[in-house]
Amino acid sequence: MIALELALKLAANKNRIAGVDFMQHDPRALSRRRLLASVAAVPILAASADGRTISGELPWSPFAGEPPRPVNPLGWYFFTPGEAATVEAIVDRFIPGDHLSPGGKDSGCAVFIDRQLAGSFGQSSRLYTKGPFMPGLPTQGYQGDLTPAGRYRLGLWALNDYTNTTYKKDFRALGIDQQDAVLGGLDGGKIKLKLKPGFSTKEFFELMLQNTMEGFFADPLYGGNKNMASWKMIGFPGARYDYRDHIDKHNQPYPKGPVSIYGQV
Amino acid sequence: MKKIILAAALAALSSPALAASTDAGKYQVVLGDCEGCHGKNLAGGVVLTTPFGKMVTPNITPDKDTGIGNYSAEDFRQAMKAGLAPGGKLLYPAMPYPSYARMSDGDVAALWGYLKTVKPVKNQVNVNQLRFPFNLRFAMRGWNMLFFAPAPYANNPAKSAAWNRGAYLVSGAGHCGACHTPKNAFGADKATALTGAALQGWFAPDLTSDAGAGLGSWSQADIVEYLQTGRNNRSMASGPMAEAVENSTSKMTDADLKAIAVYLKDLPASRGNGGGATGIEAQMKSGAVLYDISCAACHDRNGKGSLIFPPLAGNPTVRQVRADSIVRMVLAGGKGAATAKAPTGPGMPSFAWRLSDNQVADILTYVRNNWGNRAPAVSPETVGRIRSSLHGS
Repeated sequence: MIALELALKLAANKNRIAGVDFMQHDPRALSRRRLLASVAAVPILAASADGRTISGELPWSPFAGEPPRPVNPLGWYFFTPGEAATVEAIVDRFIPGDHLSPGGKDSGCAVFIDRQLAGSFGQSSRLYTKGPFMPGLPTQGYQGDLTPAGRYRLGLWALNDYTNTTYKKDFRALGIDQQDAVLGGLDGGKIKLKLKPGFSTKEFFELMLQNTMEGFFADPLYGGNKNMASWKMIGFPGARYDYRDHIDKHNQPYPKGPVSIYGQV
Repeated sequence: MKKIILAAALAALSSPALAASTDAGKYQVVLGDCEGCHGKNLAGGVVLTTPFGKMVTPNITPDKDTGIGNYSAEDFRQAMKAGLAPGGKLLYPAMPYPSYARMSDGDVAALWGYLKTVKPVKNQVNVNQLRFPFNLRFAMRGWNMLFFAPAPYANNPAKSAAWNRGAYLVSGAGHCGACHTPKNAFGADKATALTGAALQGWFAPDLTSDAGAGLGSWSQADIVEYLQTGRNNRSMASGPMAEAVENSTSKMTDADLKAIAVYLKDLPASRGNGGGATGIEAQMKSGAVLYDISCAACHDRNGKGSLIFPPLAGNPTVRQVRADSIVRMVLAGGKGAATAKAPTGPGMPSFAWRLSDNQVADILTYVRNNWGNRAPAVSPETVGRIRSSLHGS
């Protein structure tokens, strides 16, 4: 505990030296001038005395915090009703319901993907997305001009275009075996959808699979993982944060169920 | 050693020799916690929320236009001890002149001597923002007639010098009763001094020797440590008390803190906090689960806390008759005092975003009735009322 107190003090002092404050609303918030001035001061501080007491305390204000906002579970924000039904059919094939857990649809994976596409992920708002668009290595991820929202819109249209050409049906109207065959074809390279150069069918498949897993395992507040079903299935304790009573209990299952960020048990 | 402390206490109680020195006057600022209301530079402008409306504290720097630069020593003494400003203007008892009336003339003179040397600050303050009819100053004449009986502190020869010094500080300059003594409908002290009171959305705890709500289980050393550092093994100051510790009690001399402890430990026990609750099985069960996932990592599964996390078991703040302070801390979070001897000033995060009124009520009912604590249950309605009042302010 003394170590913790020291760490907190250190953190407070470091922030003070750097002129950085935790709170955005703090009137002493970092300015360019202040940063430059304090950076200039650091070498002087470091060079001068052997020991120096820098006093100060952790900034604090009532009701502080920027908790993630739970999504509204009703309706669709990005998908058209047809797209939503297609995605629900796809996530239910990626994660079929069985005795271990509910399926992808009932777990809310399609809702999760819809909310992500309607938000900053869907718009790539944290990424540089202007040209020039050059081919990249697989490890560099998608390099084209489409946002994730654009890739879903195009991909889902192309998927139904393919099934209508081949089976005269939308994907969601296919039997389970046919759906599995189509998804297997997207994954294995047997099916080429009418996408864009730089956006392969395999990439579309992997994008959907990745987002489905994220929805299945993310905190329920994001719309998927309803009732923490996936965490219960794998024994993940969720947002619990104190395991001191169990540190010494080796090779024993953790006895407590999961907790969500919003304290659902 | 004891003799030295006693001698020092006596000397401080009546020492015209010290009165002229500004150091002695500066120490009176500490004892009276002037900064708590008038601000670090004493230029006022701090908003006080009272049941009668808002007041803004005046500028008490020696600025001639906006402060008290035109006061004479006698004007100042009248303001401190009679609640009268020059020109016969009546002060409101938000300025604790009913307490300061107990200060010795020597201490008031020393304080005046220091205030004259403070840097003048130009800060025009519109003090009186009270609601009608409380904004009518002459009404305070009636209030004074009813509730104000100015009397300097009278030494109690049956008690020790330390006890008398403690009583002088607690009832005088320290004005502890301003928060800790219950008030009547007119905002005047009730006879049940220091038994705990609600104000400004907090509940200032019972300071008597009651074993449930008061300081019955605290030693004198516990009280001294709390006032000096803002924490001890039983509790931690937060809210207005954390400010009082930072501005005032942490800067008091060891002898004065010991004297306060001697006096408080001699206060007869109050009537307690109403005792434990019954019929709370469902709340206790739900509270135990919620405590485990939201509180236990810091406050410990057994409510024992640790150095920077206050214990909840046996903590008087938790066991007051009203739960205002702890409801507020769970919702808004809390901030401990940062003092020379305990500089961390630990904070508690806000849980308002994550816990419903029902959940807060369950957790606090559980905390108030577990590990030997006994206190009335907390209802979701109480939590809801406090939540909306905090967001409204």
